Amino acid sequence: MKKARWNRAWRSMPLRLAVLLVLLFSTVSLLSLAASYAVTRATFEQAIRDDLAQDMAGFRAAPNAGAVALLVEAESRETDPSRLILSYLAPSGRIFGNGAIARDGEGYHLVSLREDRAEFQGQYLALSAALYGGRLTIARSRAEVAALGTVFLNILWISLLPTVLIALSGGLVLARRSKRHVEVIRATLDDLTSGDLSARAQIGPRWSDDLMRIGETLNQMAAAQERSVTTLRQVSSDIAHDLKTPVQRVSLQLDELAREVDPDSDAGRLVIQTQNEVAQIASVFDALLQLAQVESGTLREAFNPVDLAALCRTLCEVYQPQALAQDQVLNCNVPEAAHITVHGERTLLGQMLANILQNALRHAGPGATIAVTLETQGKTRLTVTDNGPGIPAAERVRVLERLYRLDRSRNTRGNGLGLSLVAAVARLHEAELTLADADPGLRITLTF
Amino acid sequence: MKLLVIEDDTTTGTYIARGLREEGHVVDLVHDGRSGLIQATSQEYDVLVVDRMLPELDGLGLVKTLRGTGNRVPVLFLTAMGSVEDRIGGLNAGGDDYLVKPFAFGELSARVQALARRPQTVVQDTSLRAGDLEMDLLSRKVTRGGIEIDLLPREFALLEYLLRRKGRVQTRTMLLEGVWDISFDPMTNVVETHVSRLRAKVDKPFDVALIQTVRGAGYRIEG
Repeated sequence: MKKARWNRAWRSMPLRLAVLLVLLFSTVSLLSLAASYAVTRATFEQAIRDDLAQDMAGFRAAPNAGAVALLVEAESRETDPSRLILSYLAPSGRIFGNGAIARDGEGYHLVSLREDRAEFQGQYLALSAALYGGRLTIARSRAEVAALGTVFLNILWISLLPTVLIALSGGLVLARRSKRHVEVIRATLDDLTSGDLSARAQIGPRWSDDLMRIGETLNQMAAAQERSVTTLRQVSSDIAHDLKTPVQRVSLQLDELAREVDPDSDAGRLVIQTQNEVAQIASVFDALLQLAQVESGTLREAFNPVDLAALCRTLCEVYQPQALAQDQVLNCNVPEAAHITVHGERTLLGQMLANILQNALRHAGPGATIAVTLETQGKTRLTVTDNGPGIPAAERVRVLERLYRLDRSRNTRGNGLGLSLVAAVARLHEAELTLADADPGLRITLTF
Repeated sequence: MKLLVIEDDTTTGTYIARGLREEGHVVDLVHDGRSGLIQATSQEYDVLVVDRMLPELDGLGLVKTLRGTGNRVPVLFLTAMGSVEDRIGGLNAGGDDYLVKPFAFGELSARVQALARRPQTVVQDTSLRAGDLEMDLLSRKVTRGGIEIDLLPREFALLEYLLRRKGRVQTRTMLLEGVWDISFDPMTNVVETHVSRLRAKVDKPFDVALIQTVRGAGYRIEG
């Protein structure tokens, strides 16, 4: 949970930008600091070398070996060996000064000549030269050079760390703010896709320019879509009105005709047949209109808790006589007296289940068994299974398209809209619809 | 009964008016919303038959305005759209029932009757009667001429529905709505099947048939 939240935060654009900028800034600062360290260090080293050369020149000015020895002795008494080490190996073999060059298995090194004979600590830079038959060695401490590293490290902590902290927290604050703004846009898009075309993003004055532009464009787009849907609805309602008016007249005229003729005569039978045809025209028409309306998503506003178990029981009962007449078995596996509630529109859910059942009764063939099963294990799942010929895998998606019919079903009743409405109603209720092979037969599953 | 039909299509309007007059009603017919509103407020009607889509003032606006003035006359909407949203909108605006075009005249006539005689207060009866048929609503027992008749729950509900509306025609869609609570056409003969089963138990063993078929309209219980 926490990890997921952190992952989401990391994927947010402003936070990433802030972190990247901090990284870039730190790298550049580190590089320039390193460069100035190198330059300063080189300068320090050069100064030590110059000092050493100058010291050496001073001793060379002595007239003979004895004088050099005296000078070295005098000077070494006054100097701190941790700063400067002087050592003169006289031609006599005696060593003057506060240190001596010793040699062991690892090479040359300086040893203290003092009483405590403490080892020299730290690094030294030494200059050694032959002088009047002896050898003079002068070594100056590199402690200052070493101290330089510490100084630069301190500079690094004092200057870089606060900057990084401030930049990171600033980035976080910005990220949170723009996340809120992005959230407003996302919520608006959610509302729009779920059918609430009146949803608009509330753009605040503190929004960044680019997000503000996106928000404004989104609002313009939503307004345009709302206009076109309203127009479309107006157009379809006009068409419905204009076409249904003549159908209505025909229907009423047929009613009148039916009252005047004997229903058992040829004319009477023709009238009834024509009445049925008119009803069929009207039902295709209504199905198309209803489909368009369900797909517009506006019906979500009319959602209520619906007892799916009761609805299943009722519809099983309603189709029982038809199943019986067609020599089919319709089983209802819904727990008796159970209430299984989903949020939805009762009439549409009923129409959806009715369409699935009609489809099964129509295509499963005589002798088939059709089972309606309602389960609640975590999610509510409604399954209608038949053991008829089923639908070939390649056509299972296509049968959900409007007016598509399998070749073998062309001569059966039905208008090719039933399963389209099932798919549209499922989408409206955010239920997952799957058509699968029941081996043999078709299994339609709706998961709410 | 005195009825007002507000329908912009002259042919349909005329047919409806003529049919209703033939059944003995007094019918006024107007063709646009504004005249409809004026007519509805200037006289007392038992039922208004209002097309949803009308020139000048549409049906929804008309009924909303009418309800705003405190007029409670029962309204039957005629609608071309017939979608769920349409129905909800019509009932929310103050309509009492709706009928989707194209409709059969028998359906219209039955629904007008049902609206007009809608009881103002619901009286809780403990038993219902038709002829020598008696239904005890408390013990849920049905007897005819003293002989007890065994009914399945849905058959009982169907008989109760017809008995409560004794003498009035109930159409197939009205029965689907009232007995099964289904407000769409399930395209199956469930009503016919249940009526014939009910007849086999209630009418067949006796001399007089109580459940009558009204051609082109529906069923009615007499007695």
